Amino acid sequence: MASLAMNLATLLLGVLLAGTGASKAFGRQVAGQAAGTVLVRVLNDGRRATLVLRATGAVELAVAAGLLAVPTTVVPGVAATVLGVGFLAYLGYARVTAPESSCGCTARNNGPITWRAFVRAGLVVVGGAAAAGARTVWWTEAVRNPVESVAFLAVSTAVLVVISSDLDDLWLVPLRRTRLKVLGHPLVRGRNDEVPVAASVELLERSLAWVAAAPVVRSGLIDHWEADGWRFLQFAGVHDPGGAARPVTVIFAVDPRETRDTTGNPAVRVTLIDDRTDEPLEVDLLSGFPRRASLPMA
Amino acid sequence: MTARNGVNRRRLLTSAALGGATIVGASALGGLDADSAFAAPMPSLDPAVSQSSFVDGRVSRIKGSVLDVVEADGTHRLIQLTNATSVWKLETVTAEAIEVGDGLYARGVEMPDGSVAADAVWVNIVNLYVTVRGIERSRLHLSHDSHALVGNIVEKRTTASFRGGALTSDLSQLRIGHHAQVLGAWRPADDSVDIARISVGH
Repeated sequence: MASLAMNLATLLLGVLLAGTGASKAFGRQVAGQAAGTVLVRVLNDGRRATLVLRATGAVELAVAAGLLAVPTTVVPGVAATVLGVGFLAYLGYARVTAPESSCGCTARNNGPITWRAFVRAGLVVVGGAAAAGARTVWWTEAVRNPVESVAFLAVSTAVLVVISSDLDDLWLVPLRRTRLKVLGHPLVRGRNDEVPVAASVELLERSLAWVAAAPVVRSGLIDHWEADGWRFLQFAGVHDPGGAARPVTVIFAVDPRETRDTTGNPAVRVTLIDDRTDEPLEVDLLSGFPRRASLPMA
Repeated sequence: MTARNGVNRRRLLTSAALGGATIVGASALGGLDADSAFAAPMPSLDPAVSQSSFVDGRVSRIKGSVLDVVEADGTHRLIQLTNATSVWKLETVTAEAIEVGDGLYARGVEMPDGSVAADAVWVNIVNLYVTVRGIERSRLHLSHDSHALVGNIVEKRTTASFRGGALTSDLSQLRIGHHAQVLGAWRPADDSVDIARISVGH
């Protein structure tokens, strides 16, 4: 089994490196990919980073060709191992110095470096070492042990698919979809149909009361609570009648059951409380607004 | 819960509000609260109110009620929190919830010494366009610019809006494949996002 794995490692690794190498060397979006990698910072230039990425692709292609064409020679296997160690070092460096940067590993994925990238680079090292020990060319091995070869290739391919985040659309998302269908939606509504505070704030912020109080309100929501059938929303503000600015607390009270869906016309209580005396201020917030008569609906 | 938000203070404010409040009916315009963190700075219509300033960066040090914030270009800005500062970190919280390392977005008034007296502070706030790639009881798998992201569902905090409807805690209409806008709080510890609001079909 060990010799079968070694002999077939050349085929697996060859196909893998041919794929990733070709996408790096000839991919149309490589320039964009390179821009997100740590290479840009190291080389101080996006164009040079793109060149390095394309050159890496070319090296991968050369190693792949060696692995596939002359599998029993040691050189391609050793070259693949060196390549894998290089990838690991690069990933480790990028992870430490620029964790947000993209890996550029497969030239399709521009996400940040994850454990999957490390596993894939690790597999290149292991695969390279195995390939260096190949004694029989892979096509002879496959003909000699067809069943075992197919099984080995199937399992290895499955492992590669699982660790390639590019391929999630192929299996992971459909798997999750199927699970939702079989087990039902995990977020079905419970008994809690209370209106969230965010919905009350949303209702408030589309009300005339909010517009009228806008010159006074300075903060975001500071506190909220319910009492006597109302939901109270507390803000901080500055009331400035004729230059005598004073800090105030602005309290809005809304119906805790209402949302934008249930009313377009919420009743809102507005109170200004002087922070220094804790006394409510008598202010006509609507004084600057024209009186509005509602138009009859046709 | 600090003294200013204590139960006694609430009782006082409640009775004052129910006593002599102006009741305003009818709807008009307005902005959304956490959204306003992303709104372009709008000059105040009131000439007495000075122009707001905005600070965006990471908290590098907390000394009492003063935050030392480092902006993207390395500039240090001091943010003064007061009793009248609102603090948002997935929900309305007090200043104690702010930690070193948090991302911070503040709106306030620039003081003569160059510090900013904050009116409102949003901590770790993120606004992302995502695709839903998986739904679990306590989290969503999302993809953003083709990289994977976990969105945590926080009980009583996470809300959703479907096709322009009001915010609801009912997330059962979410489907895999939905394109959505997520407003939430980034968790620096594991790089996931606690979802405050997910809007679908806008």
